[in-house]
Amino acid sequence: MSEFVVVDPSDELSVDALGEALSARVESRGSERRSWLDTFDWRLYRAGLVLEHRASSSGRSSLVLIDLEGRRLAQLSAPAGGTPDVEDLPAGPLKEQVMSLAGLRTAFVRASAERRVGMLAVLDAEGKTVARVAVDGPLVVRGGVEPLPARVRVEALRGYEKDARGVANCIARSPRVRPAEETLLEAICAAEGLRPGVYRSKPKVQLDPAMSAGRAFAVLLDELVDIARVNVDGTLRQIDPEFLHDLRIAVRSSRSVLKVAKGVFDERPRSHHAAELRWIGDVTTPSRDFDVYLLEFDDLVEHAMDPDAMRPFRTLLTRQCRKAHTELNRALRSKRFARILDGWPDEIVASEDPGPEADVPIAQVGGDRLRSAWRQVRRRGNAVTDASPPDALHDLRKRCKELRYLLEHLASLYEKSAHKEIVDELRQLQNNLGEYQDADNQRRLILQYAEELIAQNAPAKTLVGMGRLDHYFEHRQAVARAQFADHWTRFDRKHNRRVFATMLESR
Amino acid sequence: MKVLASYSIKGGVGKTTAAVNLAALAAMEGRRVLLWDLDPQGGATHLLRVRAKVKGGGRGLVRQRLRLVDAVKASDFDNLDLLPSDFSYRHLDLVLDGQKKPTRMVGHLLASLSADYDLVILDCPPSVSLVTENVVRAADLLLVPLLPAPLSVRTMDQLDSFLATTKGRPPAVLAFLSMVDRRRSLHRRLVDELPRERPGLADAVIPVASAVEQMGVRRAPLVTWSPANPASRAFALLWQEVIRHW
Repeated sequence: MSEFVVVDPSDELSVDALGEALSARVESRGSERRSWLDTFDWRLYRAGLVLEHRASSSGRSSLVLIDLEGRRLAQLSAPAGGTPDVEDLPAGPLKEQVMSLAGLRTAFVRASAERRVGMLAVLDAEGKTVARVAVDGPLVVRGGVEPLPARVRVEALRGYEKDARGVANCIARSPRVRPAEETLLEAICAAEGLRPGVYRSKPKVQLDPAMSAGRAFAVLLDELVDIARVNVDGTLRQIDPEFLHDLRIAVRSSRSVLKVAKGVFDERPRSHHAAELRWIGDVTTPSRDFDVYLLEFDDLVEHAMDPDAMRPFRTLLTRQCRKAHTELNRALRSKRFARILDGWPDEIVASEDPGPEADVPIAQVGGDRLRSAWRQVRRRGNAVTDASPPDALHDLRKRCKELRYLLEHLASLYEKSAHKEIVDELRQLQNNLGEYQDADNQRRLILQYAEELIAQNAPAKTLVGMGRLDHYFEHRQAVARAQFADHWTRFDRKHNRRVFATMLESR
Repeated sequence: MKVLASYSIKGGVGKTTAAVNLAALAAMEGRRVLLWDLDPQGGATHLLRVRAKVKGGGRGLVRQRLRLVDAVKASDFDNLDLLPSDFSYRHLDLVLDGQKKPTRMVGHLLASLSADYDLVILDCPPSVSLVTENVVRAADLLLVPLLPAPLSVRTMDQLDSFLATTKGRPPAVLAFLSMVDRRRSLHRRLVDELPRERPGLADAVIPVASAVEQMGVRRAPLVTWSPANPASRAFALLWQEVIRHW
């Protein structure tokens, strides 16, 4: 496929005139709304695919899957109206390809544009189409100032590539156009301040060891607030649970940064914002718990019991989830939330009364904090015995998370292989603790909702099913608990302590 | 990738019309479809406005001097490609005969396209030959048009005998009545009687229609330019039956 951009943005390029110049037939003309669908983390684009929904003014609506070179891989007529849900599409290659990449994640509209379009068919002597030329009129992007110029796209047809090259060469000779350096999707995303394919759930900063701790933590907080902001809209619209997940991680990471920045930032705004971030964490927890439960529900039910019997439980969870999201949206639209996002992290960073370690190099402060976090993990881990209550493991899990965030935030200060080895070891321990904690949470939820369902006179088979589900989680929890000692022994072995020390010295 | 063959021992019974229209219907559903016009007369190729020419001819394809995918031509319709006919296909039997495993060559060639297409439709020449044996071995479903005539039962019996003699697992067979003129009492009677005599006959009955003849003038599948025509609706019904067979 060859694509050209009209040099003068005000040049509207007549479809008829171009058709005449190329001896091509006008196949269609009208306006078209084109939307680009992808998951929250651009899974399709990163796999080299672009999913477009094209809705024309004539009522024609189709989904087209193309590769990054513009070659059409699959196409499907879609019902007129809004952008269809990929999950609701009939079975076929388009759905299969998209679902195999998206998995549980929702493909939603990432960018859209409405413009006049014309399609020309270049015919051979038999009247057979040998190339198509799409003429897209100028476009004003939402929030953009300058309109994006008109575009001309030559679409090659299999077996007729030579003809398409001839048409492209003919168009290229016109001084009114120049070859496009970016696709329409890239141009629209750029005008909206987005970059297709770029997804960030964690800060990626290169810290200079000599940088002051105050500056380094400020850079990290800046990145984290950006990530949080990007995920607010998707969370409000409930497009995909991953938006809320990423928002929560950004908030939790920020809290972790604020915690280790004690002595670096001004204490008053630091502790104030730490408390405010904790509030965000608290208001987002119920929605996240329900999201996770519902995402896994079908699998759980399939493995644990008769799915039909669990319908009342699912209905109750869905209702509670909706309620939790309504409350969450109220919180996210509140002045308090807006104030936190607006003032964070500037109010902390801009304080004229920073902490005593503000100007100490991050290499030194970071090393101290990592050592301390490591000690905390070891102290709590070694205190866990077979008789320890669930809270002891929960507390250890929180310390592990703090150590993990710190390791990830300060990764650029240390030698890669030692850092990776420690993170991998920590991840294995966290997985075990996560499994234990998740099962514990699920059981609490089952007990809580069993009581509600009894009050609602739910069928006995539902309660029996919930009992089985509780038993299933009890088993998972017991297995995780039994495996903890081995996981802990592995994590706390001498080798890991040596690698951790090597990592700290490697900066 | 599924392989569907439109086949009959007799000529002029609506094989090509069925192949082209079913290919268009499948493509309209979003399936990636290749129609291979194996008939040297090139009816399907003509209907899709493609030049009946394959570089190197049938010999080049069978001897794999040219990759099958490189001989493919896009049609004017989304998702529908054509492997054109070539007049040299009239000697395809001879070319196949000179190959190792001569009855499996078409299937072997098609295997190279399994990542590119969801459905291949073979429009076969009217004969019993080595090409036919290849088609039978490659196809998942044999679609057989039958004229509403007393001899049709005999035609099906001949086909059954032929399938019984071919090697490998025989394909499923879906026969359907084609070119039915309900103004003629014989046709009406046979439409009633034949399904009783030959259980498994498709419910879809393709009527004789001037619009079908118009396809040759318009050079496009009927279902694309007259979807409400009774013949188009009959092809749509037939397509649903084909899907149910998978």
